[in-house]
Amino acid sequence: MVHDRLRVLAVTVENHPGVMSRVSGLIRRRGFNIQTITVGPSTVEGRSRMTLTVDAGYAEVDQVAKQLDRLIEVISVEDITEGPTVKRELVIVRLETVPPVVEQFGARKVGDRIVELTADTEVIEDFIEFLKPYGIQELARTGPVAMRRSA
Amino acid sequence: MILEALEREGVEIIFGYPGGANLPIYQRLPAHPKLKHVLVRHEQGAAHMADGYARATGRPGVAMATSGPGALNMVTGLATAFMDSVPMIAITGQVASRTVGTDAFQESDVIGCTQSVTKHNYLVTKADDIPRIMAEAFHIATTGRPGPVLIDVCKDAQQAEGEWEYTSCSALPGYRPAFEPDAESAKKAIELLAQAKRPVILAGHGVILSHAEEELLEVAERSGTPVGTTLLGVGAFPTRHPLALHMTGFMGTGWNIKAVQNADVLMMVGMRVDDRVTAKLSEWAPKAEHFIHVDIDASEMGKNVRPHLEVVGDAKRSLTAMLPHVQPPPADRGNWLNQIDLWREEHPLKYSKSNGHLQPQDVLIDMYRRCRDEAIVVADVGQNQIWAALWWNYTKPGLFINSGGSGTMGFALPAAIGAKMGRPDKDVWCVAGEGGFVMTAQELSVAVEHQVGVKIVLLNNFSLGMVRQFQDDFYGGVRSQVDLTQMPDFLKLAEAYGLPARRVHRVEEIGPAFDEAQKAPGPFLIDFRIDPEANVYPIVPLGKGLNDFWELPNGA
Ligand SMILES: Cc1ncc(C[n+]2csc(CCOP(=O)(O)OP(=O)(O)O)c2C)c(N)n1
Repeated sequence: MVHDRLRVLAVTVENHPGVMSRVSGLIRRRGFNIQTITVGPSTVEGRSRMTLTVDAGYAEVDQVAKQLDRLIEVISVEDITEGPTVKRELVIVRLETVPPVVEQFGARKVGDRIVELTADTEVIEDFIEFLKPYGIQELARTGPVAMRRSA
Repeated sequence: MILEALEREGVEIIFGYPGGANLPIYQRLPAHPKLKHVLVRHEQGAAHMADGYARATGRPGVAMATSGPGALNMVTGLATAFMDSVPMIAITGQVASRTVGTDAFQESDVIGCTQSVTKHNYLVTKADDIPRIMAEAFHIATTGRPGPVLIDVCKDAQQAEGEWEYTSCSALPGYRPAFEPDAESAKKAIELLAQAKRPVILAGHGVILSHAEEELLEVAERSGTPVGTTLLGVGAFPTRHPLALHMTGFMGTGWNIKAVQNADVLMMVGMRVDDRVTAKLSEWAPKAEHFIHVDIDASEMGKNVRPHLEVVGDAKRSLTAMLPHVQPPPADRGNWLNQIDLWREEHPLKYSKSNGHLQPQDVLIDMYRRCRDEAIVVADVGQNQIWAALWWNYTKPGLFINSGGSGTMGFALPAAIGAKMGRPDKDVWCVAGEGGFVMTAQELSVAVEHQVGVKIVLLNNFSLGMVRQFQDDFYGGVRSQVDLTQMPDFLKLAEAYGLPARRVHRVEEIGPAFDEAQKAPGPFLIDFRIDPEANVYPIVPLGKGLNDFWELPNGA
């Protein structure tokens, strides 16, 4: 299930304790419709990079971005929806039986009846559909990370 | 270290209350005689006093409390200051850093609890961080769109001694207030105003906070544009100026509402355009072809009303950038201004004088006659607040202080005490209903102890007047839990606290009571027994658009 309306924000934050709570508190308080948040270290020490996907129209996302930018520990917010972006997500799945053809999806076997795939969210969704008949015992997804295709 | 940092930032007064988790700070306090400490009687009072001090002086107010209940008692005060963009520093004690998170005695998650009611907050676990954080806190609280900043300091961090350096802060990577507007947008704004047939400017608290009143007056006069204000903007434009539309919104004046509802270009300066301004949003300013929004906070753009033109910048600088482009009004501007004058005549502010009761307006009009521009009026919340906004002729900004965004009952007395301590040269009047007054009446002790000369004007109607009016007007006339007949005898209450007081039942008694209040060197209370049925008009029925405003019923 892919949403046309999904918009992607790339957010750089100070890596302080409590930053996630500030960001998620703001999202809850303002009633924004956030689909996914991912966070990890950035290239700058002490800063983290977050990717937010927001299920909303331009006006609401503009508010999300501006409200986030008001937080002191948010360094920058960029709406990277327009223009080509690279958007990737990782999923790992433990199955009852591993189908023989997972490589077709570009997936790999890792560990005991576990497969992993890094791909677009749409491909991940298709992959999970494909795996269902083989018995999904456990599944973990990272949510997407994204950047502009060209700098 | 904390106290030294406060001295370095030029702080003169701390409003505070001690307890287990801030004992180290209080132990050192006597060694800092330059810092006057005011022992409040409840921490909410400390926050409101710091708030009133800040609004009256323009300098950040400082409030202090211990952990747990002390800090939580300040939350309402922080929310009040946050909603109204008031610069404030709150310093709370926290349990020792190694016990944070263990539900230690008087521990509470102050950072979590105050996150959404502060501009920023800090948990300090190491003494080394104190100078940097104090400097950042002052920078954040006082610049850009001001607001309260809370610093929650673990007890062990308060205790540390040692060498340290203090450098004030001027920049932070994630904090870049937009001072300077885009010059093109500012020019465009003036062009839109010049092309308008029926332009209106609305001014909010931002104009007062950035001291932009002169620039506003100049833009208005040179371009021939009428100006209304929000409740917090009252005073940003002289109330009786020929171009004045007075207060806007759901309890605004009739001629203001008419002007807003008929404007073709509406420029909002330093305001949030909240629901008390717009009433039913879909029916607000229906004829406006262009909304121009000027505000220092980019997130206000389109939050409630999507502007056609955004000017993101400090109000003073934005209006200054507009000035060189202002053109004299077109020849037909007179029609619009005449129309507004007509509305002003058709929908004047009025009140009923015929029923033999003392009317709140009688009190306020007499008060204004004595004080003119020299007094600061601090209002509470409810009918008293709206009467104080409408029935006083504010010619300068900063003379009317009230809790606009949060509508916090109990604000007025402590805020008036803070304001008077910050501006001892000004007369400070506290206007309150009896309901809000008793919510923080314990702070009378502070007024008496420090002989703070606030004059308390109690508009006593023996009920939660504003709620009673809403019930009468919009909730089927069912009066439910609004009766306040059971109240202390306020003269005895004043006596118990140690301040002089008077009671006034009739118009003739107003003058002598005020004479006495003004002569008293310290605080003074007047219990005005006003008409228990007096209402606020105009008013827009809840859920309705501005066009549906009600006025004082004829013959009332
Ligand atoms: C702390 C708080 N509780 C409740 C309210 C809701 N409220 C708004 S106005 C009002 C009545 C105020 O009565 P009073 O203080 O007597 O003033 P009046 O309206 O009679 O002038 C109430 C209860 C509020 N604004 N603040």
